[in-house]
Amino acid sequence: MDGSAAQARVSPGQRAPAVVRVPVSLRVNGSERRLEVDTRTTLLDALRDGLKLTGTKKGCDQGQCGACTVHVDGRRVLSCLTLAASADGREVRTIEGLEQDGTPHPLQEAFVRHDGLQCGYCTAGQIMSAVALIEEGRAGSDDEIREFMSGNLCRCGAYPNIVAAIREVAGRGDHA
Amino acid sequence: MDRPVVGEGIDRVDARVKVSGRATYPTDADLPGLAHAVLVQSTVAAGRLTAVDTTAATAAPGVLAVLTHENAPPLREARDRLGPLPPPPLQSDRIVHHGENVAVVVAETFEQATEAARLVTARYAPSPPVVDIDDPGAEHVRDPFGSDGGTGDVGAALATAPVRVERTYRTAVNTNHPMGPFATVASWEGDKLTVHDSTQGPSNTRIGLAGTLGVPQDDVRVLAPYIGGGFGSGLRTWPHTVLATVAARHVGRPVKLVLTRKQMFTSVGHRPDTRQTVRIGATRDGRITAIDHEAWQTVSIRDVNPEHVTRASLSGYASPNISARDVQVRVNVPSPGSMRAPGDAQGNFALESALDELAYELDLDPLELRLRNYADRHPVTGQQWSSNDLRACYRTGAERFGWSRRDPRPRSMRRGRHLVGYGMAGTSFFFAQFACAARVTVTRDGGAVVASAGMDLGTGTYTVMTQLAAELLGLPVRRVRMVMGDSSLPEAPVAGGSGLTGSMGSAIHAAARNTVRAFLDLVRDDAGSPLRGAAVDDVRVEHGRIVRVDDGRGESYAEILTRHRQDELTAEGSAEAPSEDEPVVPTGPYAAKFAEVHVDADLGVIRVARLVTAAHCGRVLNEKTARGQLVGGTVGGIGMALLEHTVTEPRTGRIANGTFGDYLIAVNADIPDLEVHFVGGPDPTTPNGTKGCGELGIPGTAAAIANAVFHATGTRVRRLPITIEQVL
Ligand code: FES
Ligand code: FES
Repeated sequence: MDGSAAQARVSPGQRAPAVVRVPVSLRVNGSERRLEVDTRTTLLDALRDGLKLTGTKKGCDQGQCGACTVHVDGRRVLSCLTLAASADGREVRTIEGLEQDGTPHPLQEAFVRHDGLQCGYCTAGQIMSAVALIEEGRAGSDDEIREFMSGNLCRCGAYPNIVAAIREVAGRGDHA
Repeated sequence: MDRPVVGEGIDRVDARVKVSGRATYPTDADLPGLAHAVLVQSTVAAGRLTAVDTTAATAAPGVLAVLTHENAPPLREARDRLGPLPPPPLQSDRIVHHGENVAVVVAETFEQATEAARLVTARYAPSPPVVDIDDPGAEHVRDPFGSDGGTGDVGAALATAPVRVERTYRTAVNTNHPMGPFATVASWEGDKLTVHDSTQGPSNTRIGLAGTLGVPQDDVRVLAPYIGGGFGSGLRTWPHTVLATVAARHVGRPVKLVLTRKQMFTSVGHRPDTRQTVRIGATRDGRITAIDHEAWQTVSIRDVNPEHVTRASLSGYASPNISARDVQVRVNVPSPGSMRAPGDAQGNFALESALDELAYELDLDPLELRLRNYADRHPVTGQQWSSNDLRACYRTGAERFGWSRRDPRPRSMRRGRHLVGYGMAGTSFFFAQFACAARVTVTRDGGAVVASAGMDLGTGTYTVMTQLAAELLGLPVRRVRMVMGDSSLPEAPVAGGSGLTGSMGSAIHAAARNTVRAFLDLVRDDAGSPLRGAAVDDVRVEHGRIVRVDDGRGESYAEILTRHRQDELTAEGSAEAPSEDEPVVPTGPYAAKFAEVHVDADLGVIRVARLVTAAHCGRVLNEKTARGQLVGGTVGGIGMALLEHTVTEPRTGRIANGTFGDYLIAVNADIPDLEVHFVGGPDPTTPNGTKGCGELGIPGTAAAIANAVFHATGTRVRRLPITIEQVL
């Protein structure tokens, strides 16, 4: 939000609203988690600050970079645009939940092999998007991958390697 | 086991921790009792603060403190290894740019701090800002870096040159925007300060913070094991970092301060805009007789920014007459700073575009023009290059690209409804090496821990230094662990100027040699050792062993430590920057870039269809990460060429497009496959043969694309970014 616009709306001496906290229960990476959140808390901040799952990253807090991508009920969601309270009762999957019994997801392996990362900050979001993309059957060609991965910015410019990693896993069909 | 460990494209050693989400970035640091700080930034670009009303904010739930210029502690103007810091925050009522810090709010939670920050009301006595590089009222600083120079008599040579071009080029403000918003988590324990920070140089930030706060350097520890990219943003000690430490001391608790994406436009630097005039004179057969380059760039009112735009014009081509001059224009914008190949990114666009224009004037192939004017020594100083395989870059790049298929006439090549253009450019980057130290510890289990304070912002430093240390100690890669990103480790320079690999690599080279020497000292009088009495030049290392070169006898590190009942052996090493005053000048990397663009003939939409880079980076320590550096830089270069433009409103000095929705960077669909070829041999300046390669992806990319756009459309675009309106 634009600070100057916000200031214009708030006259001096105006009081901040009282904090309202609500209980939320989520199923996160297969386990039941309960927490109490400020009604303003996003799912992203609840995961990171409340549940200490810091693998999901905040890049913009405005729904414009994809770094915060997680799965809610199996679908890609920008967790910075989702209020934690609105995710009550839902199934959430984050990067920490991709490994199965200590074995990384094939896409995690492919990102390592193809060097689909540099600083690694966008990586959780890229991988969560890519997992969903393949599950949705939208990774049929390089052009399709490029198009559907374009909501996940990578300032390091690892795009060609990200495409290579997704192409390999999508083509192999062992991604379930 | 006997495969070389250096050079090979092994997977990044930190890739697993990153793909699993376990790497800890500054924003992830969590401490007991952590409070949250949020900045309030000015909404005018020039003038004075008349009042900052913090009553409502202070009374808001959860608020611990609100600091403004009226109650902030005094801070010193300080320097770090890179020069003066930006002016310290909250020290006066003076405002010199939009988005300048006017308050910091600390609260129990992030939401509460954000809410309370909105309740802070600043009042201003504004004055009209100067924001335009062409504003006649702006203050000009000539020769700001003391780098203006040249050779011969450019004026006379231009007057008599049979062929001349004179053109003016412009580049826009670009903003670094690493994906990780810059963050600081500061905590005090008594007089000791620990800071998790988005910095590209923990040692440097320690110096900057200690100086600003007026505390001993030994009381400050800066940690940055991982950061979410930097691209130059993390080179300086910025005001928000200082404010986090001040806030933490004020509330007596650890404080986390994370910049919003919008604040990333105003708080951690940007690539300044430029207006450049290039004049080139040549003979009819394409010999350059004069190069004159004057570059104007903006800088903020109260800060410095060493950004040598005309650098490559002084060294790029064999011209007997050269003059290059830089001018800075002071405007009411946030502090600029280094961004991916600072100065060179803009300067190269002007010079390499002008050369393309000259090639058309001469009716000569642009590649041939460059080959005819290859500088076989430094054209101004006459020094020899330590190594320069630029011609091999041109040859290899042209071959892989298929440059010979190019029909030189503009608008001559088509594919369906697309105009096809081929363009090329050459580039260099300067050589950088700084003083650096490293420590090697070999343990009784036969492994090694190598430590240096330098950090890896995504470039691959963890990986290439692991490989290098493994080679220098004769160990497999998996037995070497690199520890970095902590100012309490041996001092290292910033990760910048493509200089860290050469700097840290040289330090590790020295430390490894000192380690072997220390082992030989240990067995000097050891009757049980086949190495007894050997000097460091008498031995080599392999398979975890030190062996004599003459008879191959030796023993392992583990055997020596076990026999001498020692758990480990440690040695340090350091390396200095090489001297520039020798007959041979330390020479940075080179590249040639070849771009194919497709321009929609009806809509003007421009797409880069492919881009081939051939680069001479000296010895490549890891093919995979080096390629990643060049590809990543090229992606940034494509953004610079076609998309990126930080727009400042002329009347208010406000950044008008301060979001990722409005400031466009390249997305996946904008990027074709990018080819990178490494050519040329090692450079003799450093013991490891490296030249640095990180910055090389940017310069040359925009020029190659602009030249291809001209070839496709017949329209010469001299202003970046190239937009649809400019080609229609
Ligand atoms: S942080 Fe959610 S899209 Fe950027
Ligand atoms: S790896 Fe750094 S932003 Fe993608």
